[in-house]
Amino acid sequence: MEYEQSNVIKDFPGLYASESQKINNRESDYSEDEKLTRKDLLTGKKKDKKDKKDKEKGYAALEGESSADEGYEIRSPTKSKKSKSFKFASKSKEKREKSRDKEKDFADKKKEKDKRIDKKSEKEKGKNDKKERPGDIAEELPIFGVPLELAVERSRCHDGVDLPLPYRACIDYLQMYGLGFEYIYKISSPKSKVLHLKKMYNHREFVDLAEHDVPTITGLLKMFLRDLPESIFTSELIVRFEEAGAILNVAMREKHLKILVGNLPPLNYMAVSWLIVHLYTVTLNEKSTKMNAQSIAATLSSTLQISQRLLTALLCHCPALFVDVKLIQYIPPLISTAQLPDEKDLMEIELKKQESLLSQIHSEMNAGFVSKQREELLWEVQRLITQLKRKIRSKNRVVEEKGIEEKVSHENTGNSSENLETERITATKKKDSQEVLNTVPLSLNNSEDNLDLNKKEINNASIASENVEVKNIEWDFPKPTEVDQEKTANVKITQEIESKSVNTLQTEDPNLPLLANDKEIMYLNLKNQTLLELKNKLIEKMEIEKKEIARLKLVLKEVQYKNQTEPVIIDSNSDNLDKIMELLQNENQILHIKKINLVRKIMEEHEICIDLSAKLMMLTASC
Amino acid sequence: MSKKPTSQPALHKVIMVGSGGVGKSALTLQFMYDEFVEDYEPTKADSYRKKILLDGEEVQIDILDTAGQEDYAAIRDNYFRSGEGFLCIFSITEEESFQATQDFREQILRVKNDENIPFLLVGNKCDLEDKRKVSFQEASERAKQWGVTYVETSAKTREHVDKVFYDLMREIRARKMEENKTSNGKGKDKNKRKKLKCTIL
Ligand SMILES: Nc1nc2c(ncn2[C@@H]2O[C@H](COP(=O)(O)OP(=O)(O)O)[C@@H](O)[C@H]2O)c(=O)[nH]1
Ligand SMILES: [Mg+2]
Repeated sequence: MEYEQSNVIKDFPGLYASESQKINNRESDYSEDEKLTRKDLLTGKKKDKKDKKDKEKGYAALEGESSADEGYEIRSPTKSKKSKSFKFASKSKEKREKSRDKEKDFADKKKEKDKRIDKKSEKEKGKNDKKERPGDIAEELPIFGVPLELAVERSRCHDGVDLPLPYRACIDYLQMYGLGFEYIYKISSPKSKVLHLKKMYNHREFVDLAEHDVPTITGLLKMFLRDLPESIFTSELIVRFEEAGAILNVAMREKHLKILVGNLPPLNYMAVSWLIVHLYTVTLNEKSTKMNAQSIAATLSSTLQISQRLLTALLCHCPALFVDVKLIQYIPPLISTAQLPDEKDLMEIELKKQESLLSQIHSEMNAGFVSKQREELLWEVQRLITQLKRKIRSKNRVVEEKGIEEKVSHENTGNSSENLETERITATKKKDSQEVLNTVPLSLNNSEDNLDLNKKEINNASIASENVEVKNIEWDFPKPTEVDQEKTANVKITQEIESKSVNTLQTEDPNLPLLANDKEIMYLNLKNQTLLELKNKLIEKMEIEKKEIARLKLVLKEVQYKNQTEPVIIDSNSDNLDKIMELLQNENQILHIKKINLVRKIMEEHEICIDLSAKLMMLTASC
Repeated sequence: MSKKPTSQPALHKVIMVGSGGVGKSALTLQFMYDEFVEDYEPTKADSYRKKILLDGEEVQIDILDTAGQEDYAAIRDNYFRSGEGFLCIFSITEEESFQATQDFREQILRVKNDENIPFLLVGNKCDLEDKRKVSFQEASERAKQWGVTYVETSAKTREHVDKVFYDLMREIRARKMEENKTSNGKGKDKNKRKKLKCTIL
């Protein structure tokens, strides 16, 4: 791992650093006047970075701010915890109200109003909400800088796509406005702008990215990624990704990347797939974006903490890696009962969104973040849900009534009811034959369930001789996709011949020569059988390995316990030890790669064997 | 909070509490849409808004119809906290539901921390006189003890349905006016405020 990454850093630091230097210069140019006019704010800003202690000062700064004349910048500097969330809250409320009433204020008027309400709410809520407000939600439950899982939980996209809202919003925005933007991702925006947006998200403020420019949004996305405590490729898999990205053989590389991508935890898969597919479309629009896979990789690899080589590889293999990934623009839950959809499907989708939003509000409130605005929102969302449910119910009632009417009319005409009967019979017949055919994919399904167990097993079996630490055992092998492909192939074939075999069942002539498709089925069946046998064997082996793991863990615990009770005197010559450690780690790395190659070979040989034996069995059967 | 009548009409937040099956939803739906549903469908939480004329003034009422069950305790507190007035419902045909009002009262007081929160005790299903289990006397006494009004309603016949909502809104409105006065002056402690109800009713 270590050497890979250091290589990575060696690969491009110059480029990236110079780029960011440029940016920094540009930024300081850009915001020079801001600095002059709002010195106090900026000093506050600097402090704000990592200092929460200075609340008193924050308060003082706040007083000064109210006289400043720009809404945005006012919000970013340090504030006392309480006043900060009042501000944000009243603003978001205002937005909601505003959009509801379709009130059209001029921009500066609005800002003034903001301020007025801000001030007012400080006075009014200061006394009421104090006791319920434990602190600043942006500080206690931030969205940026936390594990992906938490970020998703805290800022859900309520349409079921499990990406953190800012992440999704950035990709949405860039797909819409970024694909015609020259040097997208290369051109940066002042950091203050990006930080401001980050702050708004952390405060759960309403954010309209459309008001901002492309560099700000790429900056925000980059910041989100950089702030993540763990790479979106996960620390478990990242080395393997690097290894796979370094495979020279294109087909092999693709195959391995595909497996790795499939092994990512769902949330990471989501984040990775959306990002890579998005970046890929950026490269597809090279003419207008002036960015190809190489330049994107050069620009973003350090943000993603991966090598340029790997990022380039991911982009080049993107179509194969993320076949089904579609970037769907996020449509947030509605905010007014006036806009409720009329179609049942849409209503149900909307209901799900609102319910997701509702539970997020509840969880924020249960975490202690209670404000007038959140309560308002709670009632509002609840009201939308009630309306949607009523609408759906009345729709259902109409459908039901229609259904009853139809039934009645059927019963009235004896002829049509007979027709229905026969229809039903044919339907069941069809079903029967389908079921027979379905057994093939079904059993495969079954084996797929056990695949990740198998994976480990095979590893264990094939590397038993090598002394690798337990952690490393979870390396995968080409199996899953292979079977996956077969499975889909099987399904396809069975579907294709479904109609045919129904025919054969009806004609029931055993003397007919086997059709090419039937042969295929037979072949696949045989192969399937062997695979299933293999599976069982592997599961058996795996059980043994599992027991061994449990045993070793116990031993490990004992040893650790001993070490605790009898403290080992550490050699003062720890420098030496460090060196040895490093050497050993490097050696382990090399062994690890060797192991992977061996596992790969073994599995490939195995696959060929299975294929051949299936063919053989088929030939002997038809002879 | 109390917005000047120039822009938005005043908004009063009412919460329906009580055991399951006592008619909270039925009362709400009767008030909102003049409809009565015979079949019982357990509620999780529903919220409604209606514009009405309260003594010549246009106001909005937000009604939150809650679940009677305990399952949603965490959620329930979030709602109770935001309620400005409560209709505590039981069914006159069910003794248990009457006993349960005690618990609801306590929960509300715990969350709101305010003895004088606008509150009505409501005995519903008064159309089912032949099945009555809770006497008017008994319920009135409890109401008196709490310092609240007792009203009997029927979601089926619509008897006193409007009354309970309007009376409660009047209490809320009076309460808010008083709050405004005191917050303009010096008094800040809710608990020290005098009861207003007697003067209103
Ligand atoms: N006869 C009669 N039945 C009622 C009345 N109110 C509610 N019900 C019935 O009692 C059942 C429960 O009512 P519901 O409003 O769902 O109770 P909730 O659980 O408190 O919301 C339903 O079957 C209603 O039809 C009423 O005033 N009179
Ligand atoms: Mg109900």
